[in-house]
Amino acid sequence: MKVSLNLLKQYVDLSNFTIEEIAKRLTFAGIEVEAISHMAEGTNLVIGEILTCEEHPDSNHLHVLNVDLGPKYGVTQIVCGAPNARKGLKVIVSRVGAKLIGGEIKASVIRGVESNGMCCSLLELGVDSKYLSEEQTKGIEELPLDAEVGNEEVLKYLGLDDVIFEINVLANRPDLLSVANVAREIAALLTDSKINIPNYEDKSNFKSDFVVSSLTNRCKQFAVKEIRGVKNASSPLWMKSYLQAMGVRSISALVDIGNYVMLVTGQPLHMYDEDKLEKHELIVKDDKEEKFIALDEKEYQLIKGDIVITSNDKSMCLGGVMGSLACACDENTKNIVIEAASFDGASIRHTSNRLGLASESSSRFVKGTNHFQYEYVLNFAASLVRELCDAKEESDIVSYLNEKYEKQVVVTSLKKINERLGTDFDLESVKKVLKNLYFEVEEKGEELCISVPQFRLDITSNADIAEEVIRYLGFDNVKSELPLLRTTVGSLSEKLAKTRIVEDYLIDQGFDETISYTLVSKKEKDEFKYLLKGENYQILNPLTEDREYVRLSILPSLLSIASYNVKRQNKNFKIFEIADLISKDESKKILSIVMVGENYLRGKMSRLAYDFYDAKGVLEGLMEIFGITQTRYTIERNDIVSELHPGKSAVIKFGKNVVGYLGELHPNYLKEKDLTKNNVVVLELSLDALFDMKTGNIKMQEISKFPTVSRDLALLVSKKIEVKDLIKEIKMSSKGLIQDVEIFDIFESENLGLDLKSVALSITYGSNDHTLKDDEVNASIENIKKILNDKFHAVLRG
Amino acid sequence: MANNKVQEILTQALEDIKTLHKGNIEEIVNLRNKYLSKKAELMALFATLGKLSPEERKTLGQEINEARNRIQLELDAKQKEAQEDLLKEKLEKERIDISLPARNYSKGALNPFYIVKNQIVDIFVDMGYEVVEGPEVEKDLYNFELLNIPKDHPARDMQDSLYIDENTLLRTHTSPVQARQMELRKGQPLKIICPGKTYRRDDDDMTHSHQFAQIEGLLIDKNINIGNLKATLELFLKKLFGQNREIRLRPSFFPFTEPSVEVDITCASCGGKGCNMCKGTGYIEVLGGGMVHPNVLKMNGYDPEIYSGFAFGVGIERIAVLKYGIDDIRRIYQNDIRFLNQFKKKD
Repeated sequence: MKVSLNLLKQYVDLSNFTIEEIAKRLTFAGIEVEAISHMAEGTNLVIGEILTCEEHPDSNHLHVLNVDLGPKYGVTQIVCGAPNARKGLKVIVSRVGAKLIGGEIKASVIRGVESNGMCCSLLELGVDSKYLSEEQTKGIEELPLDAEVGNEEVLKYLGLDDVIFEINVLANRPDLLSVANVAREIAALLTDSKINIPNYEDKSNFKSDFVVSSLTNRCKQFAVKEIRGVKNASSPLWMKSYLQAMGVRSISALVDIGNYVMLVTGQPLHMYDEDKLEKHELIVKDDKEEKFIALDEKEYQLIKGDIVITSNDKSMCLGGVMGSLACACDENTKNIVIEAASFDGASIRHTSNRLGLASESSSRFVKGTNHFQYEYVLNFAASLVRELCDAKEESDIVSYLNEKYEKQVVVTSLKKINERLGTDFDLESVKKVLKNLYFEVEEKGEELCISVPQFRLDITSNADIAEEVIRYLGFDNVKSELPLLRTTVGSLSEKLAKTRIVEDYLIDQGFDETISYTLVSKKEKDEFKYLLKGENYQILNPLTEDREYVRLSILPSLLSIASYNVKRQNKNFKIFEIADLISKDESKKILSIVMVGENYLRGKMSRLAYDFYDAKGVLEGLMEIFGITQTRYTIERNDIVSELHPGKSAVIKFGKNVVGYLGELHPNYLKEKDLTKNNVVVLELSLDALFDMKTGNIKMQEISKFPTVSRDLALLVSKKIEVKDLIKEIKMSSKGLIQDVEIFDIFESENLGLDLKSVALSITYGSNDHTLKDDEVNASIENIKKILNDKFHAVLRG
Repeated sequence: MANNKVQEILTQALEDIKTLHKGNIEEIVNLRNKYLSKKAELMALFATLGKLSPEERKTLGQEINEARNRIQLELDAKQKEAQEDLLKEKLEKERIDISLPARNYSKGALNPFYIVKNQIVDIFVDMGYEVVEGPEVEKDLYNFELLNIPKDHPARDMQDSLYIDENTLLRTHTSPVQARQMELRKGQPLKIICPGKTYRRDDDDMTHSHQFAQIEGLLIDKNINIGNLKATLELFLKKLFGQNREIRLRPSFFPFTEPSVEVDITCASCGGKGCNMCKGTGYIEVLGGGMVHPNVLKMNGYDPEIYSGFAFGVGIERIAVLKYGIDDIRRIYQNDIRFLNQFKKKD
């Protein structure tokens, strides 16, 4: 809300305060002044008259002017480029030394001709071009012929000497969408006083025969006043200036009065051309379903629930939103009906949002208006219509009211107020604050019965009163004191604590942790959709197609990040992210990792392309720190996840449940993600599943005192056989003797045969209770050879 | 009288030893053969001892032994020296270029988002707060209604929130966790914080993001007042930003707190004098909070006559932007590796 300082000064004496002081006091009382601006700015200004206007000898557009600046400054020579500069014109001159928005004016020589000052346009004084005509923006300002040469109070002369406070009106204070109420706050906060506001009397000289009523409870109050014999010309300068200061363009006297009264009182008005109404009645309805042609000459479809003011059952105004073209006031309007009403905010909000017709008045209804000030407002408007439009006759006020004013009273006590605030204010200061803010305070023993002023819609409880007190007296008065409570042990939830372990592990392994968006595109929503049951949530009102669905996998997001980085020449990295994913059926904490390019083991000198086994290593590392032994999970060939390379991927299972997958991306999918030239390895794992695995405490195991023996075995087997199965059989063959089986070489070649591979294994024998004898080991080896041959047709390599 | 022959041999041997080349073991072996082997001249002199009188035999034997020991010592010393020289030479040859790249033992980096989130969470855990979480897809009831934002309140505008259906939306703040926790604790005192992602229907630009995150704090007990909130936030912000920062409260409005405050801290770059960073005010807004509104307490099963409490909400990205001078909030969500790698230092 823009508030004019000049207008405020009409209501409260601010002569002892600087603009900054006023702004600061307001801000610290919860009425934040977001910006202070000037309607126009400029020093060293004076009104001058162009005495002579010659063409510049060395330019085809510049003029050399002799300008009379009045007796104090005499005649001066100015070089001016404005096309409209001419002899006899009264102009605004900024003298040498003038500080304008564009900089300081200096004496200069322009193409060999001396120039001492500048003739100004209003743009150069900082006036927004939206208030100016095309001519005004193209040339220097042309002042009226009667402008007084030598007058140095130029901004005042132009009605541009105002300061504007831009106030951030909080949602609980719609009353501050009124300059008068802002003035009330300022008077209370700065001057300990109340405002001087004129009391407009009812000057009616005939009785209205209008019938007003409402057929819907969405209209709380509806009142009108007829005024006859008006002349709707343009407004005087003072009116235009106030409106411009507060961001409103002047249209015509009647429209301006409506806007001005709204800005001062917060009550939106509407004016009907009385002669265009079919009947002397205005009835509020909310069940019209018809086409409506509004003031803007556009057609709108009304639906049930729209508040409409009808006359003879014809829609004359979309309540609080916009009038109809049919009864609009124009320059020929003679007789008017002024309406001051209160409409239900929710209805106005629905209507104005649906039709895209938000305005200063609709937003006031949405936020809440004072239902009971209509008499004051209508009389105020009438006085202005008399003054500006020469109105001759006005009627009394005809009103409809569906609720009675009941004074809001809050019962509290000084103790309660101080308790909430942690302060020890005395009764006198609290009473003074409340009285200054237009509350009435009645003491009943310990109790305080506090009557809330009519215009305050936000005060209903002790908490609200406490806030009034503290915002007035200041939070500096609050003693900073930590709460004295029984001691509690702070903690992360078990899930969060375990999540930290995963994060720390991955960071230690050199992964970077990213954060990406939850919302994804229609295409991405179906990718890697394997770990959560149920469908994606869809956003009803998405901002863009890219952010329309709630994701069910983090991988598409991580792959977008990968693609973003690769495009910027960051080609080798590993990243991960942990997020809570939610489908229509369930929610899970998921970990995703992506590795791209090569692992730089020693800069570029030693590097290794990421592959399946990197992801597998991360998985095993994670399982290890959560104490989940290899017997409790399986890594099986992937026949589910189609986004992965079928030969270089696997699914992770706890029992029969798939809890994750890992591997290299399918070439087709790489292409879609624009990552064809890169190795990309991924892993996605349900952390819920991981965290739910039960694990025991560590218990130390005896370390064997007896030496171990190792034997190597090189076998030829079919490529289709997985080495893990060989190892499993070997381990089972001699339980208690074999401590470990390690692979030390895998070899494939055409010489071996196309479907064979050579596997070299190292078997470590050891016992906890004796030193092994050669015979024992030899027997075991022979046994193993036999078993592997029987089960896998494995042949010993020579 | 010394035996001339022995002396001659010794002198010759010492002479030979002097001419040895540095680091040449072979020459030393040769000299050993020449002077100390069984066939050596000096050794041959032993054979002559038998012909001498016991007296002479003793003297000469002693002389020979002394000469032999002397030569042996000298040669041993030379051999040790030579071996050391050889080793030194060998090691010198093995010298590497220490300026070459190291083997990689670098840790990964956290997005500054997580650095800030973890720091804030840890500060409150240290103060005895419990950390809880809540759902991101939230019911209108928890997101609005139970927080004193009734139906048709402008804050509920479709324009501002991302809806799933009429009664479900992506939570617009972490405050619904307040309502959920109050429901769970059934009127018992509580002291929680809740970190989490939140969503608004905002176009992404330098200072706005449709997705952002907050940390919500809530404390309910008996006799809680604004001073308690002030002290708690003072402690928190000084831990987060440094002991020399001051805080101030400004009145504000949130539907679920009354009184409500905005909290500012003194600007880091000017220390409160006023500069470009803080637009000349000396202060920077960091979070919002207030006393839990009596309606909220009532709606969620607490008697406002007995219990009172405070609540606050901190924007994680906002703090990250302030702490690390991040010029555009979108950088956090872009995850450029070059950006992330700037945040490896333990903070």
